[in-house]
Amino acid sequence: MSSPTGPTSTAERTLRLRDIGPARRGTRPDEVVIALSPAFAGIFSKTIVEVPHAEVLRQLLAGIEEQGVTARVIQVHDTADLAAISHLGARLSGSGISVGVLSRGTTMIHQRDLARLSNLELFPQSPLLDAPVFRQIGSNAARYAKGESPEPVPTRNDQMARPRWQAKAALLHLKEFETIEAGRGPVEVELDFELSSAG
Amino acid sequence: MTTTQPAGQSRKRTSLRTDILEDRPVNLDGFVEEWPEKGLVAMESAFDPEPGVRVEDGVIVELDGKPRADFDFMDTFIAAHAIDIATTEASMAVSSDEIARMIIDPRTSRDEVLAVIRGLTPAKILDVVRLMNVVEIMQGMQKMRARRTPANQAHSTSARDNPIQVAVDAAEGAVRGFAELETTLGVVRYAPLVAIALQVGGQVGRGGVLTQCALEEATELELGMRGITAYAETISIYGTESVFVDGDDTPWSKTFLASAYASRGIKMRFTSGTGSEVQMGNAEGKSMLYLEIRCILMARGAGVQGLQNGSISCIGVPGAVPGGIRAVAAENLVASLCDLEVASGNDQSFSHSSMRRVARLMPQLLPGTDFVCSGYSAVPNADNMFAGSNFDTDDYDDWNTIQRDLQVDGGLRHVREDDILAVRRRAAEALQALFRHLDLPTITDAEVEAATYANSSNDYPLRDVLADLKGAQSVMERGLTGVDLVKGLEATGFHDVAENLLTVLRQRVSGDLLQTSAILTPEFVPLSAINDANDYAGPGTGYRLQGERWEELKKLRHVTSASNPETEVS
Repeated sequence: MSSPTGPTSTAERTLRLRDIGPARRGTRPDEVVIALSPAFAGIFSKTIVEVPHAEVLRQLLAGIEEQGVTARVIQVHDTADLAAISHLGARLSGSGISVGVLSRGTTMIHQRDLARLSNLELFPQSPLLDAPVFRQIGSNAARYAKGESPEPVPTRNDQMARPRWQAKAALLHLKEFETIEAGRGPVEVELDFELSSAG
Repeated sequence: MTTTQPAGQSRKRTSLRTDILEDRPVNLDGFVEEWPEKGLVAMESAFDPEPGVRVEDGVIVELDGKPRADFDFMDTFIAAHAIDIATTEASMAVSSDEIARMIIDPRTSRDEVLAVIRGLTPAKILDVVRLMNVVEIMQGMQKMRARRTPANQAHSTSARDNPIQVAVDAAEGAVRGFAELETTLGVVRYAPLVAIALQVGGQVGRGGVLTQCALEEATELELGMRGITAYAETISIYGTESVFVDGDDTPWSKTFLASAYASRGIKMRFTSGTGSEVQMGNAEGKSMLYLEIRCILMARGAGVQGLQNGSISCIGVPGAVPGGIRAVAAENLVASLCDLEVASGNDQSFSHSSMRRVARLMPQLLPGTDFVCSGYSAVPNADNMFAGSNFDTDDYDDWNTIQRDLQVDGGLRHVREDDILAVRRRAAEALQALFRHLDLPTITDAEVEAATYANSSNDYPLRDVLADLKGAQSVMERGLTGVDLVKGLEATGFHDVAENLLTVLRQRVSGDLLQTSAILTPEFVPLSAINDANDYAGPGTGYRLQGERWEELKKLRHVTSASNPETEVS
């Protein structure tokens, strides 16, 4: 495992999620819903390997848009279970396709008609997800939305991810669980990106 | 939010020494602070229950401060099946200090310790081992492990699921000394071919080696029942009801599965380990070791002969908290205290630092356990489909040297190159002949040649994967069994390999491998806690590395001859 993927420039994008009301079922057949976990861009600002959440979303959106598909972003508050988040996103998606993302970076592409514990593509090793992978995930989700059958994004494996990241992943998981608000429904969010100097 | 600067972003000048330290492999490992409220703590938590038991009319009505009405299903199972109700109140009355001293005192016999432990609750056992430092834990393990003779287990897998690689690395592993060999798959459908390869290769390397294939539970059981594998290990149990339920299981369903193996005379053990519950976010605020002790008692209550523990695939969690590796050593000891065979971890990639890798091994290697590693990688770690082990083929010579330095038996030995090449070639040839006989996909002479000299899966010609998967499917559809393998080996001129495999299969009729800690010697004598009981009673007793075995372990790749210092002995 190489060193964390930290920001390389001094200018860093920060992201604020603005709640614009309850998330509704989409009607456009050409949309992908990105479903975020409770602590995403909230108490956490970056993934386990320090990919800024702003960058995660920027890449997912770019990947979706380059396929000519539109994206809608929602945030889920009553669970931090990736399968549940992703499946909820899929059920609200006009195309039935969603990308679910946990704060630490773990990501899943889901489809409305699949069982909740099933998925189209799962990226379980959060430490191995960097900006280019998020872009490919966005792109693949969009292609599913268009009714295509893309080659799955190549999964990576790193046997030394365990000693480096396993305990931190557990800690992040516990922290994210603490932000769960039982009974609070999913909300649609707008993204405010700001360029700030990280000096 | 993070309060410290991420690595590499500091603009402050650092010393040249700090730069060197920053670059040391140990700083690639992850470490976290404890969070006891959530169970992110090794074994010292204020949130673990106080020991206590109350019996009424032959039923445990209160366990560690919890009345029966509040029992979860782990408590219910443990209270009903894992604690000796007749002696529990007397055993619980013995002070924890006294029990800890009994464990380390060579004048107190293993049986006397077992008798007391049988009546203890999970919180009491935790209270006892919390008094012990790592040296005391090792001293306890030296006396309490069930089998007198320590042994070791290997992983033999392939990143390409290449059955020939699995066969030859199994053969080499067997000749190097592993008593058990385990495989698993990248592509699960490959399993029947790879399990056959492991079985054949193992019996070429050394008759009597036991093999298993870690799979989804139903398939694993079927391969065992057919005699394609000899034992099973990956039957996972957990310390909280919520994690159990997440896996659609209960202590009773796991026990039922265990009895399915026993019904066919097949050796099996459960698997558990510290850190799994907190990893899954459901530790219910209890320490990792407390929850692992509940697993160990559940295993005892289920009646299985043994347990694979020592954190296993969650080792990154206890490895990251203070005292975590002490807790891992303690969990192995508790399994032995409960009279279970213990296959003691050291089987997953643990650290970037070789010093840490070895330090993590010492509490098992030095006292000896039933299986020091529950999976030393007998293939390069890149080929290890269990996601990498704490030790792999690159470490063979270091391991042998450590055994020789400390005069401890870690189950392996140095083997001369020509002997290794011979068993590798023969394993490949036996599998080639057997596949041809059973009308399975061809193994070419070029593959046999490559297998003889290979290190990793990259050194083999590529297989026709689709043809292999079809062949694998046909093994299941045709209902091939271990006896078909024996017949095929006999018919193709591999009489000794056929004989070895048949003798292993016959063990399930006698049931000798159901005894605690059973392995087979090269003479096919079952060695278990029944006929090779640990009789450690202080200096000069118990298992000693001496005689023929010590002469064997004195050999290394390069040792200068005393009689002719211009040459080496080997």
